[in-house]
Formats: sequence, structure tokens, C-alpha cells
Amino acid sequence: MTDITDIIRFRSGNAPLALRWPTQRFLVRVGLHVLVAVLALMVLLPFLWLVQMSLRPEDEIFSDAVLFTPTLENYRALWQGNFAGSFLNSLAVSSLSTGLSLLLGVPAAYVLTRWRFKGRARVALWILTTRMAPPIAFTIPFFLAYRVLGLQDTVWGLALIYMTFNLSIVIWFMQTFFAAIPESLEEAAWIDGCGVWRAFWLVTLPLAAPGLAATAVFCFIFSWSDFFYALILTRTNAMTAPVAIVNFLQYEGWEWGKIAASGTLVMLPVLIFTLLVRKYFVHGLTAGGLKE
Amino acid sequence: MAAVAIRQIRKSYGTTPVIHGVSVSIEDGEFVTLVGPSGCGKSTLLRMIAGLEDVTGGEIRIGGRIVNTVPPKDRDIAMVFQNYALYPHMSVAENMGFSLKLNGIPKSEIAVRVERAAGILGLSPLLGRLPRQLSGGQRQRVAMGRAIVRDPQVFLFDEPLSNLDAKLRVQMRTEIRQLHQRLGTTTVYVTHDQIEAMTMADRIVVLHDGKVEQVGAPLELYDRPANLFVAGFIGSPAMNFLKGWITVDGGAFFVTESGATLPLHSAPAGSDGRPAVYGIRPEHLSIGDAGGIAAEVSVVEPTGSETQVFAHVGGQEVVAVSRERVGVVPGQSIHLVPDPGAVHLFDAETGGRVN
Repeated sequence: MTDITDIIRFRSGNAPLALRWPTQRFLVRVGLHVLVAVLALMVLLPFLWLVQMSLRPEDEIFSDAVLFTPTLENYRALWQGNFAGSFLNSLAVSSLSTGLSLLLGVPAAYVLTRWRFKGRARVALWILTTRMAPPIAFTIPFFLAYRVLGLQDTVWGLALIYMTFNLSIVIWFMQTFFAAIPESLEEAAWIDGCGVWRAFWLVTLPLAAPGLAATAVFCFIFSWSDFFYALILTRTNAMTAPVAIVNFLQYEGWEWGKIAASGTLVMLPVLIFTLLVRKYFVHGLTAGGLKE
Repeated sequence: MAAVAIRQIRKSYGTTPVIHGVSVSIEDGEFVTLVGPSGCGKSTLLRMIAGLEDVTGGEIRIGGRIVNTVPPKDRDIAMVFQNYALYPHMSVAENMGFSLKLNGIPKSEIAVRVERAAGILGLSPLLGRLPRQLSGGQRQRVAMGRAIVRDPQVFLFDEPLSNLDAKLRVQMRTEIRQLHQRLGTTTVYVTHDQIEAMTMADRIVVLHDGKVEQVGAPLELYDRPANLFVAGFIGSPAMNFLKGWITVDGGAFFVTESGATLPLHSAPAGSDGRPAVYGIRPEHLSIGDAGGIAAEVSVVEPTGSETQVFAHVGGQEVVAVSRERVGVVPGQSIHLVPDPGAVHLFDAETGGRVN
């Protein structure tokens, strides 16, 4: 009679299973854990180094000593300077551009996905081409136009620029997510008493929420991390956090403590935002590609 | 409740016409099925009644009102989709009450109506669940619940049972029929399954290539199909067809291409020598030792209640169904004797019925 040990022996190639299999599995598991730990450390090292640096006193900033007395002095110095204003500018610019991009891009993506009209594919392609040129190509036109329009060094001006870049991301991402939602759900809503946009609002959009979250994170991170346009188009009023950090590199010396503290603070909102929508984010990235 | 009148409806996608002037009148409270093979335009026609497809030409009336350009939400119809189309983010109760909520009906009344519909369909314990937590049959019931809770003028069903397993399909078939008898709402039901059409409908509309082939009561279509298409489509196993010609010589006969001479009750006037197709349903062929058509048994399929005998006649396969237990074996020579009173004759060129 065949018992379970025979089956296991057969599956493991007639090896004496009791000795070989658990040891091998254990070693493989330990190896994988070590590999993951090493990779995680490699990825996190700059971040951890930055965080610990931000907590060191100014005179110990480059010290090799692993143990030190943490201090919030660098953060206090930031709060007393102009950094808080720049941080708020960054928040305002990123939130505004993300909000505007979603407000315009989501309905546009829906129309491009669902409505059949002449030149639809061409319109979608032209929207994508706005992302094909490097951002530097638009610097001079934006700079000149903003001088005339009085948008230089304003939060709105910067938000509008980021919106133009984010819009194509929103439209292309959301098209994939909308395409994954069966049209019959909207048709059912129409028959149940919805108009086209009410069905979109009550049925399609809630179902596209994971995609919406993923797209919002992308937009926010893009706007939040931009340094180039913020440097060219802002001076004092609308200066964002990344530009403010660079201002700690001065002729008189580089303020490493403040650089580390501000760098840590700049990472925080993205980290919090991503953690909050992590579940949706992962689901959103895969939702369009797989049929459920 | 309302009558639905379809007059000379046409539908084209670009330059490709898919429905060529279909006219059907559906009486108030009637259960009509649109049946036909894939691509015949039955779902398109239903979607035009629902307002989900534009009408290229013709006129659709619901309750006397022309609805060609009326949006779906204003047609006072309810539709059950093939894939159920339940809102995945809403509970069963929310799915069923969605249309009532949109129409501004108070929450307390919505709850009463949803509960009543759920009671009819046996969904009461499931009202708090999400669609993904339901089985296929339960989802189907919720889709029906969503339709009946509204008390609409017309129910539209688009192949609602095709995603269910065979046993559940039969059960739901009966339930839908009972529901119609109970509510009496005008119903248009699309299916490609002719058994479903036969068992459920008051009247059947057979569609083929965007045209109506025949409209009639189920047994009318079965007993007197108007043409070869309907004859071959309605009935399972399908009707047997034998090519040949009509002979009037001391009585009416049909001579098959294989040379068999089969008696006819009567022949249409002036049809002597006319090429025709002889149609006979499997249950109207009996197995004998002499007379009729000589055949060789190829396969015997006993189902318990009946036996299907497949046999070759001059290179063509013919099937006979017997309610008796038949003791024949593959390879055996038999004679298939048709009932002359149950013969259908069709024109060899046009396919139209001639007797």
C-alpha cells in the first residue's frame, strides 16, 4: 500500500526525505531572508543615514560614532527659518496640481475610453506626446509666458505647470482602469435611472478608486519631487521645499544638519501618502492588466 | 405594464447593416422570446428597445410612446444582463434599491419594496452581502430582484441564464416563468437556446441574419415551421432533411436522392416533379424492418426516457427518436418509416414551406 512517505519520496526524487528536505528548506529560507535583508539595507541605507544625520548635533554631524545623543536642534532651526513656508508651498503646489490633474484628466480619460468619436485614438496619442519631450524643452516658453501672465513665483503658476505634465499620466493611467470596468455596469445604471455622468459618479468612479489612488500618488510624487521648474520659476513667494534645501548650501558653508532634517521632512508626506493608499496602490497597479 | 411595438427597425454599424427592417408587436403582459443563432441581431434588437443602442431607422413604441431618442433612464424598463451587471461595491439590498433611490423614493419605502422582492426571490438572508460573496444562481436572482423591485412597464432579459450550470438553468427557467405569471409584466427575453424559448414564451420571434424568419406560439413554430431555417432551428434533436422531388402518380409521393419513395398525405397543386426538401422530426420516424427509408445504424444514444438512433441514409445522417427501448446496434440495417401526417415540405430553392 502506498503511504504518504512513499509519495513524498517519489516527489523528491527517491532521496531520504526525512534528512534532506527540511534541512534544505531551512537553508534556502535563511538564504532568502539574508538576501532580502541585504537588499533592504542597500535601499534604505541613504535614507537611514539621512535620518540619523538629522538627529545629530552640528559638531558630530560626520562623526563615525554609532551612539550619540539625538537632538531636534536641526528641526527647531528649520522651524525658526523660512523652511516651514517652503514646505507649505510644496504641499499646496502638489495638492493643487494633483487635484487639478484628476479633475480634468479623469473625465477626459473616461470619455476617451467609453465614447466613440472620430480621431479618438489620435487625440489620446497627442496627449501622450506631451510627455515625450524632456521638461527642459518647455522651460523658456513657460518662463516667457509666465513673465507676461504674472504667474512667476506663484503657487498657482507652478501647480499649473505640474498639471500639464500630470494630465497625460492621469489620462493614460485612468484609461486602463476605466477599460477594466465592464460597460454593462454603466448600462445597468442608465437603465436604473442614471444619466451618463451620474452613472460615472455613482458606479464607475467608485470602482476605479484603486486606480485613482495609484494615479494620485504618482501625480503627487512628481509635483512634490520636482526641483527644476521650482528653481527656474520661483524666487521667494512660491519657493518649494526641494529648492529651499539647496539654499542651505551657501558660500559660508553647507548646513548639513538642516539639509538632513529638511530632507527627512520632505520625504515624510510622500511616505505617509504612499502608506495610506498602499493597499489601493498595489491593487491599482495590477488591476488593469488582469481579468478578475 | 405596456405593449411594445417595433416597426421596420433597422440598425447599421457604419456601412454594415445588422438588422434589416424588423417588425414585431408585443402585447401588454406578453412573454416574448427573441431567439436565433449568434450574430442574428437579437441582442442588438433588445438593446435598441432598452435604449442602449441607437436606432438607424424605424420606430420603437413602449406603451404607445415613440422612444427612439428617449434615454434608457426615461423608458421605464428594467433589464437583466447576461453577466448580471451587479454593482460590485454595493450590497444586495443597495443593488436592488439603487433605482428607487435614484427616483427619490423614501428610504423606508425602499426597504419595504426591497424586502418584498427579496422575499419573492428567496434573497432575504442575503441582503447584506456583496455580489462577490454570492453564487452564480444567487447573483442571477439579485439581478432579477433589481428588475422587479421597480415594477417597470417592460422587463428585458438578455440571455440571463447562459452563465449558469445546466441544472440551475432549468430551475431558473421555471422561476422566471412563475415570476411572469405572478407579475404579468410585459417581457422580452433574448436567448440562443431554443429549448429556453420554447418552454418560457407565449410567443417566439425567430431571427436570422437580422431578419424575422417567423413569429408564433412555441408549438405553432414546432408544428408548422415557415421555412427550412426555423424547421432546423426549433426542435432538439433537429429536424431531418432529405433532398429529392415530389411525384404525383396515383397518389402523392416524395422521391429522395437516394431513391427511396415516401408517401405524402397530399401534394401541393402543380408540384409534380418539383425539387423539394422533405423534413421529418426525429420522433416521427419509427424503426421497422421494411418500407420507408433503408438506413444503417451508426450510433445509439439511450437517455433513459428515450433512445436516439443515428443512422446513415445515402451518405447523410438521419436521427430517429423512440420512447421505447430500441434493440438496435451500430452497423445494423434498419428501415426508418416516417409518419406521412407529420411531413414538412420545403421549396428546394427558397426554403419556404410548401405544404
